[in-house]
Amino acid sequence: MATLAVETDGLCRCFGELEAVRNVDLRVAAGQFFGFLGPNGAGKSTTIKMLTGLLEPTAGRIRILGLDLANDPVEVKRQIGIVPEGLALFDRLTGPEYLIFAGRMYGLDRVTAAERAQELLDFMGLSDRTKSLIVDYSHGMKKKLAMAAAVIHGPRVLFLDEPFEGVDAIAAGTLKAMLNRMIARGATIFLTSHVLEIVERLCTHVAIIHHGELVAQGSIDELRSGVSARRDDGQKLSLEQIFLEIVGGERASVPELSWLE
Amino acid sequence: MAGVTLLSGKQQHLGLVAWLRWRLFLNGLRTRRGKADLASKIILGFFIGSVALAVGPLLAVGSWYAISHREPFILPGEFWFVFLVWLLVPILISGFGAESDPAFLLRFPLRYSTFVVLALAHGIFDPVAVAAVYWLLTILAGVAIASIGALLWAIPAAAAFAVLNLLLNRTIFAWLSRWMAQRRTREILGALFILAMFSIQLVGPLTQRYGKRALPVLTRVASASRLLPPGMAASVITARHADRALAGFAGLLIYSGVLTWLLSFRLRAEYRGENLSEARRASAVTRSTVGAGWHVTGLSPIVAALLEKDLHYLVRNSTAYLTLLAPVVIVILLTVGHGGPHARQPVFAHSSSFFFPASIGYVMLTLSGLAYNNLGYDGPGVAMLFSTPIRFRDVLVAKNLLHTMVALVEVLAVSALVRFIVGATPPLVLAMTLAGALMVHFTNLAAGNLMSLYFPRKLIPGQMRRQQASGVAVAANLGIQVLLATLAGGVYLLSRWAGHLAWCGVAFLVLAGAAWIAYRRVLDLASGIAWRRREILIAELSGSD
Repeated sequence: MATLAVETDGLCRCFGELEAVRNVDLRVAAGQFFGFLGPNGAGKSTTIKMLTGLLEPTAGRIRILGLDLANDPVEVKRQIGIVPEGLALFDRLTGPEYLIFAGRMYGLDRVTAAERAQELLDFMGLSDRTKSLIVDYSHGMKKKLAMAAAVIHGPRVLFLDEPFEGVDAIAAGTLKAMLNRMIARGATIFLTSHVLEIVERLCTHVAIIHHGELVAQGSIDELRSGVSARRDDGQKLSLEQIFLEIVGGERASVPELSWLE
Repeated sequence: MAGVTLLSGKQQHLGLVAWLRWRLFLNGLRTRRGKADLASKIILGFFIGSVALAVGPLLAVGSWYAISHREPFILPGEFWFVFLVWLLVPILISGFGAESDPAFLLRFPLRYSTFVVLALAHGIFDPVAVAAVYWLLTILAGVAIASIGALLWAIPAAAAFAVLNLLLNRTIFAWLSRWMAQRRTREILGALFILAMFSIQLVGPLTQRYGKRALPVLTRVASASRLLPPGMAASVITARHADRALAGFAGLLIYSGVLTWLLSFRLRAEYRGENLSEARRASAVTRSTVGAGWHVTGLSPIVAALLEKDLHYLVRNSTAYLTLLAPVVIVILLTVGHGGPHARQPVFAHSSSFFFPASIGYVMLTLSGLAYNNLGYDGPGVAMLFSTPIRFRDVLVAKNLLHTMVALVEVLAVSALVRFIVGATPPLVLAMTLAGALMVHFTNLAAGNLMSLYFPRKLIPGQMRRQQASGVAVAANLGIQVLLATLAGGVYLLSRWAGHLAWCGVAFLVLAGAAWIAYRRVLDLASGIAWRRREILIAELSGSD
């Protein structure tokens, strides 16, 4: 059996009365490009926050690369990189300052951090705005910078919460190229996205969360064959069709709006 | 869509905006913070409202006296008072922050006239405007009691004056919103605002010192003020001839006309969809080599990186910058009336042993605010700190180091200033003060770190508006400063009573040692506390302001 990069057992998170995540058992093998899907409010961001130590689970256990997150959070964080929902940038720093800072936070020495920061700025096309404060960056630039900061230390597992949201096609192309390089060198990528076409193109494996519960998990082909068997129509399904079938979003007919007829 | 009536009347839009405001207010009460804010507003409103109500009868008596005794200065004075309050208080309250953006209404089919009415309504229902209108009514009441006939001109004059003030208020805010929409201008104006606040404090001492020489200039300025709206409004009421009253009234109308033009200029731009946002012209392309971060001997690379980051934040934050300038300005302010080391002013007769401790005390007091919410400026970035393999203790160590460096620079600057202006401080007083400062510093760091972890509040660099720390942290800060002042005073008096002032310094050093131990203990606990409270810290510091 392949080494597991991410493993959770009975992961739960409650906010007062609301059970945002319920008994989630995730298995992500090392080296996988893993898509974590779900409708709005399904519990994707809550799960990713728990997996990266930003949110404490109400119950359950998380292991990253075999390390228990609750017992060894610092070692786990050394191995992972994260682009969280709100990007978590220090927006009164310039891009290079932030990247060097992030590198040093992950334990790189200052010279290495500076060298990698320069390379990342060039790669992301940000090296012509080195004097600008992050607060003055566009949303796409901020996203690219957050991504650069997440990979500067060469993490073995990368968590990305909606990395392509609000990013133009050129920037998205750059990000995808970088992610593919990371996969090629053995890293694991765990991403959430609403853009199912991108997930289908990039990811080999997916999990679907719905109303806080994990409703499907496996390779895209496994999920496709499972759903196709149910439908029995012989059609090759897209990830969007698989997703809609599993979360019950595909309606027999779209309801009418009386005033739009 | 046949058969549906689309209502797009002005009244309906106004009603909907009023409803929106009401719902926002009610929904704001769902959180504990919202309820606490409302409670503090009610308490504050009660006191301020009482003062505003009490001012009314005084104005009425004043205007009655002015009319019945033909006193020339009281009525203009009253109109100046109303004018300045209406003009300045809303700006002071907003702290040079942008008002709510009206652009959110532009997506709806709103007529320009409705847009204008909404902009004006914003000003009419402002509590300061309500108070000002009440004061104008009390002035009219006084005028009526003195001479009912005077109301013939007084009512239109007061009405025109009120309209003018409303237009002025709206014009100022419309233009401020334009400037405040951009970070750079917001920070520049914020800095100017704080400097203006400092400058106002200089008026008293400067008047004391140069008052007599400035009197002729002030008299000329006062007589010229008749041409300004408050003077004109008063002149309409006190004029003995109808043509002079008419001239004053026409003056008010001209002012209102100019303001209407200025306001409509801005409102039209906003209505057309002008982009009031952070967007600005693209800055010049700057490409440079990335230099390595700091290496600070004796500090771990993590603490050095954090310290570097915090220093960058400090120097790019005009608000914090000016807070640091405050002690130096205040020392200058207090010494404006001082004649130098050999002066014979009674207040500073013993200044050499009084001034230095007082100045250092003020430095410590000013800087304490930074310690009690030291994560405030990190904002959403705090989540990044939790996702990296560091101990949160290091984050606080870096912040405390920066605080100590700043305190050191401030103490040195203030000491040099006191030495230069007031004279040398006796060595015993110097040593005693520095020992006391150490005690206060370590206590503030220890308590401040705890308060920052338990009661954080997001702060936006360069913005004055709603920059308060959490109420609990402010109360704790205040309580601890009172406690420290009482303790220091008690120790000082005891050693003075015993006839051994040196004991005071020794006692301060012992207390500083105890505070240092407490500080180290807090640091040891900090990582655990931060980890347990990470959700609250991230939510509170990342949340919208």
